[in-house]
Amino acid sequence: MNADDPATTDAKTGATMDSTMAANKAELVEFARKGGALVTGVADAGAFAAAMAGQRPTDLLPEAKTVIVVGGAPPRAGDWQVPNYLHMETTSTSDRMFALANRIAQFVERRFGYYAVAVPSGVDRARQPFLSLALAAELAGCGTPSLAGPVLNPEHGFLYFAALLTSLPLPVDGPLAEPVCPAPECRTMWDEQGTTPCLAVCPIDAGGCLGGRLENGRVAERRYDVARCTTRAQNSFIPGFQKALEAVFDEPDKERRRMILWGSQFTRTLWSMSYSNVSQCQCFECMRVCPAGRARRELR
Amino acid sequence: MGFFHVDPAVYREYKDRVLELSQAIQINYPEHLPPEKRKPGLSDRQIAAQLGLDERVVREIRCVAEREYYPADEWERALEFKERACREFAQTGLAGVTKKYIQRAKAAKAK
Amino acid sequence: MASVAAAIDPGEDALAEPRAAAIRKAALAAGADVVGIAPVHRWDEFVPEGCRPYDILPGAKSVIAVGVRGPTAGGWLSPEHRLMEVNGYDFANDRVVHVLADHIEREYRYRAIMAPGLPIAGHQPLFSMMLAAVLTGLGTRSLAANIILNPKYGLLYYSACITTLELPPDSMLEQDVCPHPMCVQVYKHGGKTPCMAACPKDEGGCLDGAIGDDGRIESSYYDRERCVSRAMNFGINSFQKALEQIANEDDPERRRTMIHSDFFGRSCEGIAFFKESVAQCFECMRVCPIGRAERKLK
Repeated sequence: MNADDPATTDAKTGATMDSTMAANKAELVEFARKGGALVTGVADAGAFAAAMAGQRPTDLLPEAKTVIVVGGAPPRAGDWQVPNYLHMETTSTSDRMFALANRIAQFVERRFGYYAVAVPSGVDRARQPFLSLALAAELAGCGTPSLAGPVLNPEHGFLYFAALLTSLPLPVDGPLAEPVCPAPECRTMWDEQGTTPCLAVCPIDAGGCLGGRLENGRVAERRYDVARCTTRAQNSFIPGFQKALEAVFDEPDKERRRMILWGSQFTRTLWSMSYSNVSQCQCFECMRVCPAGRARRELR
Repeated sequence: MGFFHVDPAVYREYKDRVLELSQAIQINYPEHLPPEKRKPGLSDRQIAAQLGLDERVVREIRCVAEREYYPADEWERALEFKERACREFAQTGLAGVTKKYIQRAKAAKAK
Repeated sequence: MASVAAAIDPGEDALAEPRAAAIRKAALAAGADVVGIAPVHRWDEFVPEGCRPYDILPGAKSVIAVGVRGPTAGGWLSPEHRLMEVNGYDFANDRVVHVLADHIEREYRYRAIMAPGLPIAGHQPLFSMMLAAVLTGLGTRSLAANIILNPKYGLLYYSACITTLELPPDSMLEQDVCPHPMCVQVYKHGGKTPCMAACPKDEGGCLDGAIGDDGRIESSYYDRERCVSRAMNFGINSFQKALEQIANEDDPERRRTMIHSDFFGRSCEGIAFFKESVAQCFECMRVCPIGRAERKLK
């Protein structure tokens, strides 16, 4: 950008495109903060080479220049303390960040006059995401990938993320220089015991979902059983509903069919589907033991 | 094995008792009533302890029995009830609801 | 996990009243119509062990309940019962509790959770918002489906926050909200209150009861299962009822007409939009005089 270049300099104010976009970004970050975001970052829409074809920003919005990511609304310190897993199963999913992303998209269009669209929080065909929010969060500097799976923020740990695509050419944040995972406590545990808290609580070689290896304080290998994690993290959600329905139609005895259809498991899947905004995510055990952001959970 | 569900024979044997002890029919719930008069429904754990069953079995019996309590016709009757009640109130207000009971009571007194 | 500040800080006592005031102010600013606070041990008399607030959140000291109005006054006026049924619920009470729980954790550094109110097995939730409303002094239980009525607003939707922060409590209401003096008179002359008359047990409805000579509820009867068929007419329950018949229907043609029936279609819609339309019968509340003044607009 050249301050003397009339194409990038405002004739009235003398402000350059750079300074204008920086000011726009500051305004957007403040809007997001007031809306409940704990972190906000901007990724370059052209930086999604790691994404599958069809799941890149320009596949959804051809004019996209940047991806704005907001993160927040994590389970509260009190939620992590509740000993009954059913509490978090019915309260701790949050769609507040998606609602915020929608509001930000409207704000971008009405305030700045550029295109914007929130990335849907639901799934596309074959249960694929429209765009990987984890990748977007990483590229926007909101956090780094973890051995357990979720992108972890250095200050807050586990967060819910949402994103919007926009033609607004904001200055971008890059990926974070230092990985959040493994945390120092995890590196120590690996050195002493050959495992980390998340691997220990859900070990893939003992019926769990997670496996991996650290080397020189970094993640060298990661194994993740998606199908098993689905049985836990979406226990009573759509996959559980489909399993139960399959059992119904495979059951030749009509009385037994009734026991399945009216039993607690099938009923729960219906409640979870209705209340997916609070009840879609149904296993938090790897995050419960994660030290990232733990200081935020140390309340009275 | 699939997922846990109750055996129909066990269900048939215990469903009435489980329902009776549960919150399906709520009698004398207001908190101001003396404890000896209140009849709060029991939790699945409490019912299980009384009947000598596993809590999980009680939960399954209760869930199925709640759903079975009234036939699907009752859901259709509900539509007729609400359609009638809502429209009548819009036309006649509260008097339309209570009139017949007051008249019946008067008639009974007159006899 | 070790907790911070386990020692008693004498300064905390002095902060309790101003914090309670700030919480009430925040609740009303966020959209609550009423807010009440109760100490957790009020639950001991009414709830079995394992199900009390401090069983849900270890170390819990207080429960804050909030109530918001549901359908608008215009909604109550509509002669089309289906209007309120698909439009009656906007979650303002949940939003307020989120504001309060965030406030308590961020500002006061005590743990706080949104009390879990969704059913986890059949009709059973982990925590009763109705009981929370009674114990925090927001209302009293009524003859109409045990609905907790607030003296000013009548029917409200409630949510609650459970917290380890100890707050000065509100008293429970001394005066019963139900029965209204008008209802006592109607009962005297007709043997039924307006709500009982609107949905009488002896004519296939859900309600029955008696008012004593002291003008208080002497006994109450509420058929929750019949009420479910009315108040959750299209949703999870009707979907399960219909699906059982569909699954057990041997004739493929009949099965097809059942699957594509309006009843099953509306049941599927009910599942998708159940959050917004979980309350689908208001007839006992339509005739209730409590809070009626709040619904008289231009």
